[in-house]
Amino acid sequence: MAATGEKFIIPIGPQHPALKEPGHFEFVVDGEIVTAASVRLGYVHRGIEKAVESRNWIQNLYLLERICGICSHTHAMAYCLGVEKLAGVTAPPRAAAIRSLIAELERIHSHLLWLGVAAHEAGFDTLFMYSWRDRETVMDILEELTGNRVNYSANLLGGVKFNINSEQRDSIRRGLDFLEKRSRYYLDVVTSDFVFLQRTQGIGVTTLEQAERLGLVGPTARASNVARDIRIDAPYAGYGDFPVNIVLGTAGDLEARFVVRIKELFECYRLILQILDALPPGDLQARVPRRIAAGETISRVEAPRGELFYFIKSNGTDTPERIKVRTPTMCNLASVVALAVGHQLADIPMILIGVDPCFSCNDRAVIVEKGNDRDCWTWERVRQYGIEYYRRKQ
Amino acid sequence: MSEMVALLFFPGGLFLLASGLAYEWADRKLVARLQNRIGPRWFQPLADAVKLLAKEEVIPNGVNRFLFVGLPVVALAGALTAAVYVPIGGLNPISSFPGDLIVALYMLSLLTLCTGLAGSNTTDPFSLIGATRTLTQLFSYEVPFLLALLGPALAAGSWQIVQINDFAQNHWMMLFTQPIGFVVALIGLMGKLELPPFNAPEAETEIVAGALTEYSGRGLALFHFGRNVELVVGLTMVAAFYLGGIASPLEFFGKTMFLLLGLSFVQSLMTRLRIDQTVGLWWRYGALLVLAQWLLLILSGGVV
Repeated sequence: MAATGEKFIIPIGPQHPALKEPGHFEFVVDGEIVTAASVRLGYVHRGIEKAVESRNWIQNLYLLERICGICSHTHAMAYCLGVEKLAGVTAPPRAAAIRSLIAELERIHSHLLWLGVAAHEAGFDTLFMYSWRDRETVMDILEELTGNRVNYSANLLGGVKFNINSEQRDSIRRGLDFLEKRSRYYLDVVTSDFVFLQRTQGIGVTTLEQAERLGLVGPTARASNVARDIRIDAPYAGYGDFPVNIVLGTAGDLEARFVVRIKELFECYRLILQILDALPPGDLQARVPRRIAAGETISRVEAPRGELFYFIKSNGTDTPERIKVRTPTMCNLASVVALAVGHQLADIPMILIGVDPCFSCNDRAVIVEKGNDRDCWTWERVRQYGIEYYRRKQ
Repeated sequence: MSEMVALLFFPGGLFLLASGLAYEWADRKLVARLQNRIGPRWFQPLADAVKLLAKEEVIPNGVNRFLFVGLPVVALAGALTAAVYVPIGGLNPISSFPGDLIVALYMLSLLTLCTGLAGSNTTDPFSLIGATRTLTQLFSYEVPFLLALLGPALAAGSWQIVQINDFAQNHWMMLFTQPIGFVVALIGLMGKLELPPFNAPEAETEIVAGALTEYSGRGLALFHFGRNVELVVGLTMVAAFYLGGIASPLEFFGKTMFLLLGLSFVQSLMTRLRIDQTVGLWWRYGALLVLAQWLLLILSGGVV
């Protein structure tokens, strides 16, 4: 082992079996106990925010949907809601309801995916395999509705692309029936499996105060009893007509995060059935002009991982002036570094996955300049910086 | 001449390596089916071994090259030597002498010891943590495992594997008179082989491949062979001691497969234990329960 006084660092990433996407974490350990942690992001920066400035409003729909491979629909929806607000258009009620329906189906698929990944991090591969098998059910439903398994392209500016017929309704009901049974079983497993509880109960406890201070969002925050859910706080799309009941946990540990996410699944099932039963009739799309009136707006939606925030600025042309995205992972990652200290190395992957991180949707240019208030770089300056950066490296 | 054949080809040497691969496949396939997966094809372990043996062995900087190359050989040799005293395939062991049980058990520990040393030989943090965990685990399961296998020896009044095997064939009830010993021996074998849930030393989501992270090619293949052989030897010993002995190849196959099925159930049912939980489990429950059973055995033996 390392000599006394010397730091023994366990690097997790950029390439590591615990991470499905590249990120870099350094954990200083003393034996098995973590004494310090740091994070470095930016390995999958793709320049999407810059790219949207050179595409028109409709093309951006497809680009922004690809920010995240899991919660693709929420990104497109947040963008559409913002652009519609700028254009002064409201999507017809049927379209709004279908948007919510797809968002909830996506939440099911995302939470089941998370359940599997988290179980795998704990070394419980059987639960991983089973939950991913069952996740196929909701993937099939999404494919049947939209034609795609991942990037559904369900949204259009001013509405949605497809309708739901009675045959599809039946297959959704059948699928949800099966999933509800399976989710009850999983809830039973994560709350009663003695060995699994040893790895989740009391691990990574985030108190209400910590959650508030770190600005956590989504199920991670709700597991610490923070009543924060955009679907309830600021209803959008169909959530005004079809209200959601908030699911809260009190313990704030990993077990609470498991329970909150699985209980949210039941809420998804209930909401989807409710939407299917009372799908309002009418058009699927409202007309949106090609040029969006100048102005700026924000739009917020509740992605499966938490609050997704879009800032959209239009200059009156057919391309946006600036679009800024803040994904929930950005808000939650700070908690990993804060919570890791004092835990065992074996608990770290669980704590990391406990916030359901999604690095590629998270990574964008972050420039911190001390003593210089210029926070907006021109394209020329970014390019020059890049050239100099690589020249320095040689 | 016949001794050479027995050592090199059957039932030692090549036969052991082949059966090791077969048992590895059976284990992987069973776990896969229990996890709702398809699982590997029958020749997958062989293909893996051939591929690894053919690959370049990268020796990282900062290691003792002699140890790096030598440890896998010693590990495999230890496992193969242990098999010499064990009734592999239901046949008579190649060699036998009073007290060979202890020799066999020490030979089996050699693999773990070599894995630990191999990990601490490198400068890679994953390997170092993995080696620490491997050795920690060694110190936690070794004593209960040893005590559990000595239970039948005590009942048989001999520390010679052949004689215990003979004794077990006439005393079918050993499984029921020493149930704790049976469970501890089986679970101890899982700890020895670092199978889930005792795979903290090679927990891939934390420390990649643990102590063997830096190994590639030939060295890794030899370690894998060693582990497979140890699986066969371990299963044979537990079956011979606790499941009414092994008298024929058919009995050998049936009984070891039955044990393997049990192993795969435990593997797929449990979450990985943290290393502190593993140590706690063995010393707080395993060792104490086996000692309690020993006390009962000695007391009842004194009465009878």
